[in-house]
Amino acid sequence: MRNFIFFIRRFFNLILFLALEIICVILIEHTNTLQGNDIVSSANTVSGIVYKKQSDVVYYFGLRKMNDSLLNENSLLRQKIDRLQSIDVLKDSLVHTKTASADTTTHIVKYADYLYRTARVVNNSTNANDNYITINRGSKDGIGKNMAVISGTGVVGRVEHVSAHFASILSVLSTKQRISAKLKNGTNGFVIWDEKSPDILTMIDVPQEVTLKRGDSVFTNNFSLYFPPDILIGTVVKTQAVKKNGLLLIYLQSSTNFHNLQYVYVIENKMAGEKKQLEDSSAKK
Amino acid sequence: MNVYLKNILRFCIIILLQVLILNKITLRWWNEPSGFPIFIPYVYPLFILLLPFETSVWALLIMGFLLGVSIDSFMNTAGMHAFATILLAYLRTNVLSALLPRNLSEYAGQQPSIKSMGWMPFLVYSSFLIVLHHLVFFTIELWNFSNIGFLMLKVLASSVTSMLFIIVYLLLFTRQSTSRI
Repeated sequence: MRNFIFFIRRFFNLILFLALEIICVILIEHTNTLQGNDIVSSANTVSGIVYKKQSDVVYYFGLRKMNDSLLNENSLLRQKIDRLQSIDVLKDSLVHTKTASADTTTHIVKYADYLYRTARVVNNSTNANDNYITINRGSKDGIGKNMAVISGTGVVGRVEHVSAHFASILSVLSTKQRISAKLKNGTNGFVIWDEKSPDILTMIDVPQEVTLKRGDSVFTNNFSLYFPPDILIGTVVKTQAVKKNGLLLIYLQSSTNFHNLQYVYVIENKMAGEKKQLEDSSAKK
Repeated sequence: MNVYLKNILRFCIIILLQVLILNKITLRWWNEPSGFPIFIPYVYPLFILLLPFETSVWALLIMGFLLGVSIDSFMNTAGMHAFATILLAYLRTNVLSALLPRNLSEYAGQQPSIKSMGWMPFLVYSSFLIVLHHLVFFTIELWNFSNIGFLMLKVLASSVTSMLFIIVYLLLFTRQSTSRI
């Protein structure tokens, strides 16, 4: 026993060092699973408040730019409304309406019902391997894990940690997530980030037969559980054939400017739970 | 000023400096679309480097852990900064006693600085530990050994920039002797 105590006293520093390092490794391991840990994240209250204070100060410097972007978005939305009104498609969502129309051949049934919430960005990073964005809304405002996040111009990311008043978003600029995407002609693929430049995304798993021009748009597709379809992800910069698997690699200019993100929309898909349950139950069989 | 108060203040200042200012600047040494890595200068290990000489190793380790975890919680990196900082805190005493001519206990009441150590030993001391810290941190962060050149370039560029910032910090925040005019 005395020897044991002597041993501990002699190597106390080394033991403490190893113990602390093991705690760190456990924390890192815990985060690398998809759900992540909520303790050491910028959604926790102290860092959330610090970031909010800073954002309150910096907020005023970006007002002019933000006005412009809101105007642009408004004009885009107006164009969309005009288009929908002129085609006059009967859009009956399953949840609310059961209107009948004379022309039943062209009707579109939308099974998804999306809820949009606005949020202000209080912290933003573009230079790490997995980039996170902190917003000033949390579980009290109805934000939940895995909700999709978009900006006025395109896809931003997915909510990963939530606290009462803040949430942190894993942005598209991350090696941990991929987004299913489609080209203009309907070819599906995945969009990932190759951790080099915060403006360039890559799209993989596209067959080489497709013809593309520089500037073609890439949108989200209907496969995603959380993202609504037809949200802009980026525009094609250049393509490159991969010899190994005969597929095409497409470099995209990200449509969201991650450097000066100020407001985002958090999207709740009310049908996500049902869809996931169905897919899981069929996957089990 | 009391040593404890001074260091608690420095802890807060360095964390705020790192999180609110340095994390916002994304550096890249020349503007090439891909190839040259982007990085942030990490100045916060300076807090551990500047603790008084006679601080015992266990206190250094605990403070390294606290510092690392607070930086981690701001940057969503859960444990990566803490891992690197604890290693730095553990090795600090060994590096100091290797560099200084006398025993560490003879420097009671002083802290490592350019004035107490001289330019050359202090630069060797801080740059060695900073490079080590960056190497460990970026290795854990990237965790991908297929591209070692990229990793090394990132470590090198980042630690040179961090050292520049550290020197600027020291020149700004150390009391100059007034007799030089």
